[in-house]
Amino acid sequence: MHKLWLIIKREYVTRVKTKGFVIGTVIVPLIGIGFTLLIVFLVSHQSRQSLRLVIVDNAGGLAPSVAAGLQTKMPDGTARFNVVDSINRPASLAAAQDDLRAKINSGALDAYLMLPSDLSQPVELHTKNPGNFSLLGQLSAAVNQAVVEAWLRARGIHVDNVRELVRSADLQVIKVSKTGESVEKGQTIGVAIALVILLYTTLLMYGIITMRSVLEEKTTRTMEVLISAVTPSELLAGKILGVAGVAFTQFLIWTASLALLGSYGAAMAAMGGGSSILSALHVPASLLLCALVYFFGGYFLYSSMFAAVGAACSNEQDAAQLQWIAMAPLVFTMVIYSLVLNDPASRVSIVLSEIPFFAPVLMPLRVSLQTPPAWQLALSITLLFVSIGAVIYGSAKVYRVGILMYGKRPTLPELVRWLRYS
Amino acid sequence: MDEDAGSISIGRESVDAIALENVTKSYESVTAVSGVNLRVRQGAVLGLLGPNGAGKTTTIRMVMNILAPDEGSIHVLGKPVSDESRDSIGYLPEERGLYPRMKIRSLIVFLGALHGLTEAEADRRAREWLDRFELGEWSEKKMIDLSKGMQQKVQFITSVLHKPPIVILDEPFSGLDPVNASTIKDVMLEMRDQGSTIILSTHRMEQVEKMCDSICLINKGRSVLDGELRAIKQSYGKNTVHIEFTGSDAFLNHPAIASINRFGTGVEAKLNPGADPQDILKAAVQSGVQINRFELLEPSLSDIFIEKTAHA
Repeated sequence: MHKLWLIIKREYVTRVKTKGFVIGTVIVPLIGIGFTLLIVFLVSHQSRQSLRLVIVDNAGGLAPSVAAGLQTKMPDGTARFNVVDSINRPASLAAAQDDLRAKINSGALDAYLMLPSDLSQPVELHTKNPGNFSLLGQLSAAVNQAVVEAWLRARGIHVDNVRELVRSADLQVIKVSKTGESVEKGQTIGVAIALVILLYTTLLMYGIITMRSVLEEKTTRTMEVLISAVTPSELLAGKILGVAGVAFTQFLIWTASLALLGSYGAAMAAMGGGSSILSALHVPASLLLCALVYFFGGYFLYSSMFAAVGAACSNEQDAAQLQWIAMAPLVFTMVIYSLVLNDPASRVSIVLSEIPFFAPVLMPLRVSLQTPPAWQLALSITLLFVSIGAVIYGSAKVYRVGILMYGKRPTLPELVRWLRYS
Repeated sequence: MDEDAGSISIGRESVDAIALENVTKSYESVTAVSGVNLRVRQGAVLGLLGPNGAGKTTTIRMVMNILAPDEGSIHVLGKPVSDESRDSIGYLPEERGLYPRMKIRSLIVFLGALHGLTEAEADRRAREWLDRFELGEWSEKKMIDLSKGMQQKVQFITSVLHKPPIVILDEPFSGLDPVNASTIKDVMLEMRDQGSTIILSTHRMEQVEKMCDSICLINKGRSVLDGELRAIKQSYGKNTVHIEFTGSDAFLNHPAIASINRFGTGVEAKLNPGADPQDILKAAVQSGVQINRFELLEPSLSDIFIEKTAHA
């Protein structure tokens, strides 16, 4: 045990003293916050230019009221839609469409909206860029209003302001949790995304730190001296625990700064200054604790795999090629996390967040959105820690064989064969 | 902890420092070591010899408990090899290297502590050794800032800091200038005089002839020769003649001569078994050359090495 402690201490002290640690401690949260702010900014400031639109009205008479319904403005005051022209019952629909299509392709026009002669048929929006969903809602609302207005007018009912009548209600979302209610202005999503990015970045970062640390001992041939004094298991465990200590230190620094910023924000709000960004940084302690537990679970799971990769390789290039084995599940988590973000209580989300390789990121994400049942948390933690045991057992075998092997990078079947060595 | 060496009072002479019995180790399809027997008595200076890839490093790694033998047994100071037995051995591997970014003294203290010293004691000894090797002013520098020779001296210190009763040194002189090589050699002799057992693995035969009292020659995973160096040499007899002469060398075609090794000033002729050196001398005189020197020699260790490894 004494030797294990010496290994842990050396690993911890030499890492915490480096410039890399200081930089990492400052840079990683900045990247996380920056990335979150960027997403929020992009969502709120998308399409700064108004959409140049032509209305082709096959029904006749609807175009002016549709255009009147498209008067919304963007936050900076520019009109969201610019109705360039409206064509009432074109003589040749095909010729008109050819013309409009050419304009869209030349860039003179962004889209044209075609109202059918029979309003039970779908309204068509022809555009080069069909992905802009936020515009679709406004367009269909404008068409709805125009149709309702025409229908009412045809029956002799005059309404001054149809828009007021058919306006959809503003829906304010208020998050209910055990601690009370809070008005949702996107801070839950912000915290959730920040959490995902932070967990992913730190798991990857510490995994790679562990891998490079093993690799350094191999490439510098320090390994031979070390394993003539300690067992490979002591060395592996010491390395992983030492780096875990570094990660824990970093988390403490981050949590303390977060708490300071949060209380600063609260103080500012109390004084009437009100700093919305700072008060949005308020993260419940239960979520922090959950993130911490899953981070360390994920760290032990991934870093032991990264350590095995480091041990199996003899140089940086080989390691860069082989590290996908450890990285793949983590990267895949980033591909699927939006499934959980969209619907944290769905069956898919529940199953994904129970799978040990995804749980370290996805379960804290679920917790940040809504509190999952206790049994799901208990099950995922149990599965995670059982898997950690199994993965460390396998990694230690690969590690023990790998640290003495120099030369050609092993193939995956060779690594599997190493697992069977006694 | 490091005083354990002295506490093995029961028959210090009777317990071997290291004993390998019928040790075999294979990797996948390759047999690296096959049925090796070796006894190293305490206080011996043993030369572990063999061509590249003969199985020396594998043998050393098994003694260090880095690798486990497939068959056979290994004892260190009378006890089966274990993680504890490693603290009685100092090991200088052939492939050298230590953490490049650690400061020299803390590096030495760290490795000393890993071998069971307290950090205070390790620090005290580290200072002594650094001063002795004229590295005192470098002790707060990083390993990477040192020259290759200095790094090697640091690595040597780490292998002997815990005063192990047994030291295994793999090519300890490679890359050292004559002054540093001589410093290391002096330390080795000093350790021998204090009763340490030294195992010297090297390709430099003249070092073995100067320093070792016994040898073990491994070839293709088997020990092909082992015992007291003097006895081995005597068993070969004086079958080599050193001749310095002026004139034609035609007489060297004599049937009694098996092979010739030419030097600038003369030749070394190895004789066929049973041949009489006097026949060569007669032939030389009859051929009319002027003989300046004619000397009967024991075979050099180098000759024995070549013979044993080439025909095995």
